[in-house]
Amino acid sequence: MKSHQKWSHIIGIFLVIALFLAACAPKAPAKPKVATFIFTQEFDTLNPLYTNMWFSQITLQLWNGWAWNFDEKNEPVPYLVTELPSIENGGISADGKTITIKLRQDVKWSDGNPLTSDDFVFTYDMTMSPKNAVATTYPYDMLASLEAPDKYTVVMKFDEPFAPWQATFWKGILPAHILKPVFDKDGTIDNAEWNLKPTVGFGPYVFKEWESGSYARFVANPNYWGTKPKIDEIFIRFVPDDASQVNALQAGDGDLGTFIAYSDMPKLEQAGIKIVPAFSGYNEGMFFLISKERGNPAMLDARVRQAIAMGIDRESIVKNLLLGKTGVPASYWDALPFYNTPPQKNYPYDPETAKKLLDEAGWVDSNGDGVRDKDGVELNLKYGTTIREVRQDTQAVVQQDLAKIGIKVELLSYDSDVFFASYDQQGPAATGQLDIMEWSDTTNFPDPDYYYWYCDEIPSDENPQGANWQYLCDEELDGLFKLQTTQVNPDERQKTFQKINQIFHDKVYWLGLWQDPDMWAFGKRLSNYKISGVTPFFNIAEWDFNSAE
Amino acid sequence: MIRYIIHRILQGIPLLFFISIILFLLMMNMGDPIATMGGRTTTRPADRERLKRQFGLDKPILVQYVYWLIGNDWTKIDLDGDGIAETKGQRHGILRGDFGYSLVNRGKPVLNVIGERLPNTLILMLAAELVIILGSLLVGVYSALHQYSFTDHFITTLSFIGYSMPIFFIALLSMYIFAVLFKRWGLPYLPTVGMFDPQIGKTTSQVLLHMILPVFSISAISLAAYSRYIRSTMLEVMNQDYIRTAKAKGLPKRQIIYIHALKNASLPIVTVIGLDLPLLLGGAVVTERIFAWPGMGRLFLDHVERADLPVVMGILMLISVAVVVFQILTDIVYAWLDPRIRYY
Repeated sequence: MKSHQKWSHIIGIFLVIALFLAACAPKAPAKPKVATFIFTQEFDTLNPLYTNMWFSQITLQLWNGWAWNFDEKNEPVPYLVTELPSIENGGISADGKTITIKLRQDVKWSDGNPLTSDDFVFTYDMTMSPKNAVATTYPYDMLASLEAPDKYTVVMKFDEPFAPWQATFWKGILPAHILKPVFDKDGTIDNAEWNLKPTVGFGPYVFKEWESGSYARFVANPNYWGTKPKIDEIFIRFVPDDASQVNALQAGDGDLGTFIAYSDMPKLEQAGIKIVPAFSGYNEGMFFLISKERGNPAMLDARVRQAIAMGIDRESIVKNLLLGKTGVPASYWDALPFYNTPPQKNYPYDPETAKKLLDEAGWVDSNGDGVRDKDGVELNLKYGTTIREVRQDTQAVVQQDLAKIGIKVELLSYDSDVFFASYDQQGPAATGQLDIMEWSDTTNFPDPDYYYWYCDEIPSDENPQGANWQYLCDEELDGLFKLQTTQVNPDERQKTFQKINQIFHDKVYWLGLWQDPDMWAFGKRLSNYKISGVTPFFNIAEWDFNSAE
Repeated sequence: MIRYIIHRILQGIPLLFFISIILFLLMMNMGDPIATMGGRTTTRPADRERLKRQFGLDKPILVQYVYWLIGNDWTKIDLDGDGIAETKGQRHGILRGDFGYSLVNRGKPVLNVIGERLPNTLILMLAAELVIILGSLLVGVYSALHQYSFTDHFITTLSFIGYSMPIFFIALLSMYIFAVLFKRWGLPYLPTVGMFDPQIGKTTSQVLLHMILPVFSISAISLAAYSRYIRSTMLEVMNQDYIRTAKAKGLPKRQIIYIHALKNASLPIVTVIGLDLPLLLGGAVVTERIFAWPGMGRLFLDHVERADLPVVMGILMLISVAVVVFQILTDIVYAWLDPRIRYY
């Protein structure tokens, strides 16, 4: 037999065997449905007590959860509780100082243990223990006491009524049966293994693994007490680069993207990817330094701030830098219509009126250098923000716009950890070095409360951690802000916010630049999704793949 | 020789100590780790104060350095803020092998944080370094032996184009062409990001496939520089008398190039590689970020952004130690390559 004939026979025999084996092989099981989510930041920890990081908090809805979720309209819906406490159902006492929550009795941890009021009490105890370096003790430090009269009832008692309870309490529950032994042994849960590998949870998915810098996997929870999830696995991939995220979404290497830049939206939409905004209360805006001791004295005059509001073409910024995909907020509470009633009106772009206001305020160009001045002080403002590209572009536009009305603006930009550093860390904003500060912020969303404006939050050597970087003390505003935190009756609170909103508008204590909703990208495979600005994955168990996939 | 090595190691100890002081001082001015702990909003004042105390950031810099170096288990600290130090410190200090816990990945020892990333970086960087060394040897030697030929000019032009391009540009462009466009055109395509496809799992072939674009991006730039360097040292050696003698003796060309010329031309190259190797541990910051490769470069960047002092100091000290060690190794290789060099 010739050699090539021999080889062709051998190959032929192998082929026959291979075909036979292939025919006998068991039918391959259905491919599991694995959805890939792209996160541009890796979560720092998964223990809800130890992080304020957004990516960690939203991941909670997969494997842990809040006592109540917020739906796509940001309305609260019960999750671990039978109903939301209210004055009508007796959940909130008449004096507003006691809130009673009734827990569902069918909720189970993924290891089969029931979730009870003990877990709520343990979560409170761990938050307040000085032995645990938790991210924040708020709002648990507002409680006078927490009691659990039975396994499924939790009673929260306050010294004063606490209006923002719904948006702030019970954002994640700790399993007492897992972590209490750790605390008893180590004296802290700071270094508990569960913080980074929470294998026991109660959400529709359960934690499987987390490889640092690369990915985290959450698989369907076989013991889930609610509607069983339709997708088998959520694979979260950490992709820090925005351009890479866009490429990955276009190539189908990701089903869900986060924080999509406005400039990337057209090409994603062209590739069939759906962009969905979720309103989380964030607005990009300017905070002003209004202090007799610091900064330019011009900022003390409301007319100067009104002139700035009318001197900047904010609509054009939105149109040109953000492709017109969002709007200009007229109020700090723009994303909370109930507390922005009646809706505030925006200052128009009107440089001529702006000039008149500055003239009226006595700021005129007396030395002919093109910049207004008064009593020998030039109207030269320091305007600082972080190095985010869109912010730097905005700074440049604002500088040009304000130059036209005779205000000179010096632009400064910093890394975010430097910009947001505290007074004692010599943060430029905290130490009152900037007349105009720009960042994006929200309230205790969906609650309207925020503490930036209190007089006693002004930073000083005695109060180096103060958060009132505007150095603004308006007694009337201070009183109204303190009043609204105690108003558990929404209608009364709404009236207080009408007054607050009006003061903000008239005195221009804050100037909105653009509404800053979270922009999500959904790949072609995903279906049946809804997204909330507060608890984005509130209906994750219902998400599915399109039948064509 | 052994005496020399011991001598060098002993010299390295005060050097590392000095480096650690400088780095620590620099790090203290890097930013406020608590500033970014509030997530998308600023950290609440009461929490700032409490966390500073719990992390020991309220102590003077010198005390913080001492705690980092030798730990604080010999003293008591105030955790509850009542002004009375009541709790025994838990830290042992780096001199006793305790690099502390990350301020970002709370509860994770620094050595674990680094240990999880180091293998990924080594896989990527060693593969890239291998491609760079082999590629530049081939290109450099070929160019030197065929000086001013068309191929030499062609390679020189290509290498300069590679050298002058920013790495993020090469990385994003190659990703867009080979992953996005190739897929759109129905051609065999490469993956965009990560180390593997979750539908398939972390197999060797998947990791290799995902390495192609990052390795290409890193190599494209460094290959140009290395090959130019090899070309010039080879040209210099090829004009030496002993090469002429070797040629006159009638030795085979291959032997002249690889035994006589390349070995002698390698000395300066070994210096460059010796300096580069420890820096490989630092990873490729830009490439790792773009290709979402979970390596040291990204780790460093992520933790610098949040002023995570324990982790950043850990990485910097690791690189410092590596530089010292690789310098000693380079000296040893020198002696092996050049018998005239002796250490006493």
